[in-house]
Amino acid sequence: MTDVLIVGLGGAGGIAADVLTRAGLEVTALEAGPRRSAGEMTLDEVRNDVQAWLCAPKALGELPTWRTDPSGEAGAAAWPLAMVNGVGGSTSHYPGLSARFHHWNFAPRSTTIARYGASAIPAGSTVADWPVGYDELEPFYDAVEHAIGVAGRAGNVGGERHTGGSAFEERRMRGYPLPPLRRTGWTELTADAARGLGWHPFPAPAAINSLPYNGNPECTYCGFCTANGCYRDARGSTDATAIRRAEATGLLRVETGARVLRIESGVDGRVTGATYVQDGRERFCGARAVLLAAFTYENTRLLLLSRSPAHENGLANGNDQVGRHYMAHVTPFAFGRFPGRRLNLFNGTWSQATCVDDWNADNFDHAGLGFIGGGLLAASHEFKPIAFAGFPPPPGVPHFGSGWKAWLADNAQSVGALSGQMECLSYEDNRLDLDPRARDPYGTPVVRVTFRVGENELRGSAWLAERQEEWLRAAGADRVWHAPGPFVEARHCYGGTRMGDDPGSSVVDRYGFAHTAPNLGILGGSVFPSSGGHNPTLTLQALAWRTAQRLAERWDDIAGGAPVRVAKSI
Amino acid sequence: MTSALGRGSAALLDAVLERLIPEDEHGPGALAAGVPRYIEGALERGGEPAVERWEAGLAALAALAREVAGGDFAALAPEAQDRVLGLAAGGGEAAFFAELRQRAIEGMFCDPSWGGNAGEAGWRLLGYAGPRHVWTAADQRIVEAQPAP
Repeated sequence: MTDVLIVGLGGAGGIAADVLTRAGLEVTALEAGPRRSAGEMTLDEVRNDVQAWLCAPKALGELPTWRTDPSGEAGAAAWPLAMVNGVGGSTSHYPGLSARFHHWNFAPRSTTIARYGASAIPAGSTVADWPVGYDELEPFYDAVEHAIGVAGRAGNVGGERHTGGSAFEERRMRGYPLPPLRRTGWTELTADAARGLGWHPFPAPAAINSLPYNGNPECTYCGFCTANGCYRDARGSTDATAIRRAEATGLLRVETGARVLRIESGVDGRVTGATYVQDGRERFCGARAVLLAAFTYENTRLLLLSRSPAHENGLANGNDQVGRHYMAHVTPFAFGRFPGRRLNLFNGTWSQATCVDDWNADNFDHAGLGFIGGGLLAASHEFKPIAFAGFPPPPGVPHFGSGWKAWLADNAQSVGALSGQMECLSYEDNRLDLDPRARDPYGTPVVRVTFRVGENELRGSAWLAERQEEWLRAAGADRVWHAPGPFVEARHCYGGTRMGDDPGSSVVDRYGFAHTAPNLGILGGSVFPSSGGHNPTLTLQALAWRTAQRLAERWDDIAGGAPVRVAKSI
Repeated sequence: MTSALGRGSAALLDAVLERLIPEDEHGPGALAAGVPRYIEGALERGGEPAVERWEAGLAALAALAREVAGGDFAALAPEAQDRVLGLAAGGGEAAFFAELRQRAIEGMFCDPSWGGNAGEAGWRLLGYAGPRHVWTAADQRIVEAQPAP
């Protein structure tokens, strides 16, 4: 028996472990993957990006299937979906772009209706306000930024605008703990161009050490950051930060190679622990409270697989809400050629970037545009050779043969790229459930995604693509072209266990605890009522901190009874 | 020539790869860069299903060559080979062609320890000097081209 059982010791679970052990609670974490070390990380694109070896222990064997038609058959997705299995989870391979959400992201429905009228909500959309707002989350954003080490330049400290940071940043209590990552020729060129357009560029906030922090060294801009673990622990992944602190308390027990089969619950509906397989043996770990933190897809799958007399339709699924309101990001990608210039982008990290939030959230007037929402645009480093050669060449250039080689030889060092993250609203038909046919290697159904990109998202994505073209031209590109789309970034995945006050339309309450299993907390993007147009991790970590803190503060109410250590000492 | 594939399929694959990435004034092609060696490794790791998919895909490419150009792909003139590959890319073989092209790119631009990119031929084509752990501020500046003499 443990006080708190965390299922999945990744970006969210790692933060919760830190918070709970600081509060003196005994925590056991079941992690399906191994514990890896910086010394295992190599600058090898095949191993990291092509083979996705960090995702291999489990996630690659249970990839969700994908369909766009709610009555059609699901097949292999055309885009990556896998998380990392291992201590630290996907924070051990993400480039750590860590911008906070805007006020609008927490109230997209009511703000849209107030500004544009009810007809601006797209037909079929279930977009909802969050039961928590930015101001309530701000202290948790701040806590996470300082716990993992976010490098950036503040734009709004205590209501006072700071030049150089984001002009659209909401009020923060203090600045970032680290200065921005190194500015480069490309990030300055694109920042100047954006300013020339009247936009408001800012250095990407990144969970990467621009200077030594947390006892870890600074980034050396190796160029093999995304899809790889850091070779020197210079990233603010939870395995290099929060989890280390939690283990140092002596209160965190980490079980690796522990594949959870189901979360168990009693006749009263409360959860009692989890059954898992480790070293080929089925085991049970009992707990007073369980935090499910296994990534959006696996959170949903484990709930649906965890049936019991009190939860016949799956854990916390009495109202058929588990799996609903699934969202991702649509990511327009644009290229520009800068003739005669060597841009030197085959190095650095993706979050060594200039960002623009002028076209995100409700930071611009949407009247007459035919869509709501928007997304972050970024001009990044970290081209890698296989990825670059796989980029579509501009129209008119052949995709193979001597013409293609000549294009690469003449232009590979003169191409820059812009990414975008178009927010996706939730829709009635877009959801997750269990695939009736596809199984993982253990014979368990995998998740089936039903997701059609909405008209709102297509229009918004096209709008962002036009802004990308403007930006690249302003920076001096003589040719601009776009990747074929829409491309869905499904590793930015949301919903499935929506947070809300109404049990009829959500799975967890405003603090992240299941409406019908009050000692079960759910952490991760699966609780987001809307996707936002920023990368998810910082926000889901702020929510995880808040849920864990609530659990510690309201221990008797939520967990029912004294913590293990107290009980032992009696 | 690969060993995971049958002899005929391997020979056809070599011909296709060298047409996708030919030896020319911009440097070595797929064969000299060891791309078939990389793909052989990838197919061996992929096991029976991968080999079967590639055997079927290559057989379809061979049939397409006979149908539209009247002969064995390897024996066709370069222009006819390009026409076959162009049809494959946009037609019923599009999924396999996309996979083949992707693997060819991996083999051409991978770390040479995987068997491809021999002599760093692919990296040199991109003007990329190869991975290193530390890049300085000077390395990350934009370099303007020297004015023509």
